[in-house]
Amino acid sequence: MKIERAAVIGAGVMGAGIAAHFANAGIPVVLLDIPAKEGDRSAIAKGAVAKMLKTDPAPFMHPRNAKLITTGNLEDDLNLLADVDWIVEAIIENPAIKADLYRRIDPVRKEGSVVSSNTSTIPLGVLTEGQSDRFKQDFLITHFFNPPRYMRLLEIVGGPQTRADALAAIADVGDRRLGKGVVHCKDTPGFIANRIGVLWIQAAVNAAIDLGLTVEEADAVGGRPMGIPKTGIFGLMDLVGLDLMPHIAKSMLATLPANDAYRGVMREHAVITRMIAEGYTGRKGKGGFYRINKAGGGKVKESVNLRTGDYAPSEKARLESVSSAGRDLRKLCEHPDKGGQFARRVLAQTLAYAASLVPEIADSIVAVDEGMRLGYAWKQGPFELIDRLGTGWFAELCKAEGIPVPALVETAAGRPFYRVEGGKLQHLTTAGVYDTVVRPDGVLLLADVKRAAGKPVWKNASASLWDIGDGVLCFEFTSKMNALDGDIMAAYGKAMKLIGDGKSGAWKALVIHNESDNFSVGANLGLALFALNIGLWPQIEEMVEAGQRTYRALRYAPFPVVAAPSGMALGGGCEILLHSDHVQAHAETYVGLVEVGVGLIPAWGGCTEMLARHAKNPKAPRGPMPPVAKAFEIISTATVAKSAAEAKELLYFRATDGITMNRDRLLADAKAKALQLAETYTPPEKDSFVLPGPTARAALELAVEGFALQGKVTTHDKVVCAALAEILSGGPDADASKPLGEDELLELERKAFMDLVRTNGTIDRVEHMLTTGKPLRN
Amino acid sequence: MKSVVIAGYARSPFAFAHKGELTKVRPDDLLARVIAALVERTGLNPKDVEDVVVGCSFPEGEQGLNVARTVSFLAKLPLTAAATTVNRYCGSSMQAIHQAAGAIQMGAGEVFVCGGVESMTRVPIMGFNPMPNPALKDAYPEAYCSMGVTAENVARKYGIARADQEALAVTSHAKAAEAQSTGRLSDEIVGIQTPAGLVERDGCIRPGTTVEGLSGLKPAFTADGSVTAGTSSPLTDGASAVLVTTEEYARANGLPILAKIRSIAVAGCEPELMGLGPVPATRKALARAGLSINDIDLIEINEAFSSQAIACMRDLDIDPATINLDGGALALGHPLGATGARITGKAAALLKREGKQFALATQCIGGGQGIATILEAV
Repeated sequence: MKIERAAVIGAGVMGAGIAAHFANAGIPVVLLDIPAKEGDRSAIAKGAVAKMLKTDPAPFMHPRNAKLITTGNLEDDLNLLADVDWIVEAIIENPAIKADLYRRIDPVRKEGSVVSSNTSTIPLGVLTEGQSDRFKQDFLITHFFNPPRYMRLLEIVGGPQTRADALAAIADVGDRRLGKGVVHCKDTPGFIANRIGVLWIQAAVNAAIDLGLTVEEADAVGGRPMGIPKTGIFGLMDLVGLDLMPHIAKSMLATLPANDAYRGVMREHAVITRMIAEGYTGRKGKGGFYRINKAGGGKVKESVNLRTGDYAPSEKARLESVSSAGRDLRKLCEHPDKGGQFARRVLAQTLAYAASLVPEIADSIVAVDEGMRLGYAWKQGPFELIDRLGTGWFAELCKAEGIPVPALVETAAGRPFYRVEGGKLQHLTTAGVYDTVVRPDGVLLLADVKRAAGKPVWKNASASLWDIGDGVLCFEFTSKMNALDGDIMAAYGKAMKLIGDGKSGAWKALVIHNESDNFSVGANLGLALFALNIGLWPQIEEMVEAGQRTYRALRYAPFPVVAAPSGMALGGGCEILLHSDHVQAHAETYVGLVEVGVGLIPAWGGCTEMLARHAKNPKAPRGPMPPVAKAFEIISTATVAKSAAEAKELLYFRATDGITMNRDRLLADAKAKALQLAETYTPPEKDSFVLPGPTARAALELAVEGFALQGKVTTHDKVVCAALAEILSGGPDADASKPLGEDELLELERKAFMDLVRTNGTIDRVEHMLTTGKPLRN
Repeated sequence: MKSVVIAGYARSPFAFAHKGELTKVRPDDLLARVIAALVERTGLNPKDVEDVVVGCSFPEGEQGLNVARTVSFLAKLPLTAAATTVNRYCGSSMQAIHQAAGAIQMGAGEVFVCGGVESMTRVPIMGFNPMPNPALKDAYPEAYCSMGVTAENVARKYGIARADQEALAVTSHAKAAEAQSTGRLSDEIVGIQTPAGLVERDGCIRPGTTVEGLSGLKPAFTADGSVTAGTSSPLTDGASAVLVTTEEYARANGLPILAKIRSIAVAGCEPELMGLGPVPATRKALARAGLSINDIDLIEINEAFSSQAIACMRDLDIDPATINLDGGALALGHPLGATGARITGKAAALLKREGKQFALATQCIGGGQGIATILEAV
């Protein structure tokens, strides 16, 4: 069955967010809520869409996606459900109200359509009680996480009567179109992620209070060593809302088995109860465990004292256990200070709980790990964490903490939960044997390639080249933060040599991809600053020239180059995308030429390529100025596209570039595109540029002067803008009657770059960025 | 001298550029609809039209290609009527009237349709390809002084407090809102069909505008300035037209004479103080008419910015009670090329409505100019 149209009922934060994400996937969606008491009867759904257009982070990948949502109300517009293939119910968590809704929509919906509930707490059996057989066959639970665009987990639960093809169709749409990591769960309370996550949070709060940790200390232990997002546990509660926690606890207690470990962990803390009562419910309220105190016109980050409930300026955690352990989890747990004790207690309770729940909540440990990684953004799932501690060591830890050793840990008997056998990743089953982890069709992970190959085709300190099969070479950045440096340029050279003409050797195409959070945030500024400080001008110019040479060589290479970014691709990281034959981007790619933030301009061909793209834009007004003005606007304001769809609009990506919704499918999609291009590949022609010259510079200067008067442009911004205007106008000798070649523009880029790096304003910006991570507005 | 008269005035509703109700309407269609209605309302025999003179500040894109001719075709005027597009920036469509009056005095025709149009949504201010002369910009940057900065310059030179600027804006909105609610604007407005339906009311007027409300706005052009979005005329889409002919022709053909043109003038001034342009232009026009400012009963002065309108009123010794009876551009909007025909047509219509003798219509012009027209009851 095909899912071509969808509907969401309930325009609350979750329902509206799910509808927006259908729209992001290009699926037309109906959004219904109850009729408004006065005025426009569809005002609730309409209001939700309008609000989402102003929400940051944006639920929509592009504002125009809002047009794919048809709004209505549940009394006048039920007929809108007649032609949809999938109806998601996301209304209040009340079985009677849900049952009533199901009875109303059942007669309207078309034969074979699927209904799913986004419930997070109500068992499927309860939801389908008393419904028709047809309904039971078409019904399942699809549990999205908030915010639906950004959280990758989609938990799916089928009932005994659910049609297999309905489950498969929803899982497929969830995976390919919505880009989610689909995890099949059993019909148990809280499914996988919340079942474990709720206990984890409670255990951490208990331990922090009992052991006398500050919220900063608890979050520091939970952060880097354990691989929890930097918001930490208390930061996460602030985000979710403290007031929700008692509700979740109540519903969990109502449905969990009598002997569930959560019952022993659940405790109300007076300090939190008081915070909720006083409106300190988290970021949506007056603040939570953390708050920004704006009293007296200042902005002071404060945190709550877990003993007294009073706020005081936040103090950075200083725990010997955290600083000495680094990423060594066992060392952290073995440390005698309160940080070590905290880690020990929280990990023992949480991981033992998770281990005790297989096969109750899912058939395999792989699903549980995936659930926690994608649903709670843990770097590693519970079983991967136990492996870091060692299953034998962990069993001892449980005993020491007075927790029964889970059966699965006993089964492991000192063996790891995961192992690599014959280059394949395997996981331990409940039967005590290892099974190979199977990826779905169309999923190719570089991690799997690396595991199987053992070593790359070639590598240096900053990049590796991997064989991803069928004659395609994958270029992986391996430098710190994927910063671009001389070694990366050298590695491109090596890749080009290896691939050669793309026909006579082993290789025919190159894919540039990595599995870090961010594709690349640009050039290695630390190296650049070092060179600046000792005035190594020729070396700096050579670095710029080498980048230009390399990027151009890739562009005109006799084989196709496909870039497959995800996360941030900024500065030089954006420029490599601009020089690829094709970009196959993860939908969540954030791309921009942000050099002006450090007082520079894109000099690895970024300015030149943006000019070329905007000159060819058929939608722009004609004449010599629009491409110049548009490129100037985008680069001078360091505009970052907040999705791949936005990147297309800014022409960081071409209309023909591809977007992959599911990150796990990105490399396979990029590889397929590279192979397709290789069949008939010819390198692109060189661009030529008709540029207006000094008149354009004058026009841009006028605009900058206007912004300067408004106080929107700083002193050094003006210097940087002047350099940028010089390039984009074509330089002092350009004239509309005399087209320029790429080489002339690249020379202008180099000259402007070298002029700027010699200014104190730029050096100050670079230094500031390196020390604070923030741009200096000088 | 022949007696040249304004024998009809019509305009489209004025609406905010980019967010108003006319954003989806092409400017040539907009003006064609207004001209067709003007012909219909006055009962003019279109065969007699000598020339169609259209003012436009940025005559390119959809308002390019001699838009006057395109508009004539769209308005179904006879092919025998010629057409020309005039650019004197904000003074363009008042200039169109002046050209017609001059031609009539030369015996070069008797019936002229004069209009103006600007879609500030569909053709950006400065146009699609602003290409200033770099040598001039370096040697004499004032030539390219932005309009907002000129408003600040005038405010500073004349010491016009922000509160005084806001008071004028409040008055302008109040007068326009009252005129709108009592139907006094309906006669001049031609309904415009848009994809979203028929638009018959001005869209920029904000009834209930208060000094307190305006005082919260940030300076729009300079960080430490006094001019805000509330004391500047908004970017506007709109079109306007008047019928210019001889008194003799109008009487012979039963056309509704509103007023006769007594004198006209243009004048240059410092570009960085362009808002003062009405001062020398008005003085010239008054001298040519043999009148003093005290003889003028009512005045349409374009409120490009509060500061410049106030400065001109001070220099010309204008009684604020005589200006912009139905509100000015701060409230109604300022579609650059269309404003001149609106205020001239409006002044003529007001002379008739109020039963007064003399009217002045005047406006400032980017680049440092002013333009003025003195009208007299017939």
